[in-house]
Amino acid sequence: MTPLLTDLPAGHVFEPIRFSIDAAKSSAYRAATADGLSIYDEEGAVPPLAVAALALGALLERVGLPPGTLHASESLQAEAAVPVGATLECRARLTQRSQRAGWTVSVLDSEIVLDGRAAVKARATVLSPAS
Amino acid sequence: MNAPEVAPLSRTLTQEMLNAYAAASGDRNPIHIDEAFAKTTPMGGTIAHGMLVLSFIAQMMTAAFGPRWLASGSLDVRFRAPARPGDTVTARATPLEPREGRHRYAVECVSQAGEVLISGTAEVPQGAEA
Repeated sequence: MTPLLTDLPAGHVFEPIRFSIDAAKSSAYRAATADGLSIYDEEGAVPPLAVAALALGALLERVGLPPGTLHASESLQAEAAVPVGATLECRARLTQRSQRAGWTVSVLDSEIVLDGRAAVKARATVLSPAS
Repeated sequence: MNAPEVAPLSRTLTQEMLNAYAAASGDRNPIHIDEAFAKTTPMGGTIAHGMLVLSFIAQMMTAAFGPRWLASGSLDVRFRAPARPGDTVTARATPLEPREGRHRYAVECVSQAGEVLISGTAEVPQGAEA
């Protein structure tokens, strides 16, 4: 059974998730975001935000979000270009947990690693209705 | 050194975009794709994934800085208000003082009504233009 994010304690470390971004996945992301820039094909690279988004999607296969959960903020740092076809590993941790004005606040830090080095670092803050 | 101007970018959201984004990203929260469910929520209808709307800022920065953005760009934003199918979202960037060899911008996404949907900062290393 998939646990809810709000059931996990602060400091929880998720099992590393391996995922790949092939040309089809990259194209699907670019089409969905109406991103017609040619630079990705010229560089053979994936949009950094796609890397973070697909890592988040992979994480959501491991943990559920309570109904009404909102994405409050996002920080992202690209450390290296991610080539199309790359296999990545998402190392995620529930860094902070707090309660505020009827909301449970969860902060997720992720390092998305390519060939042993962080390619993208991301921090997502989500608000879930306090039960 | 002044940061170069960054051209704004506008996109009109559709439910089809939200559906496609859910499929592409794996974020299938029903608030984005299930119109019947979304009508029962305080939102009153589907809303766009925040990361979809944020992608317009990333596209704007990619168009301006190309490989530098792909390898070394950064974003730090708050999601201020939901965007809905039918909304036309404009991403724009205002130069700030550079810091530690990086161009800095105040970035935001606004709706056609002028509502700020996302606000924050974006940074990219200074290059030959600096």
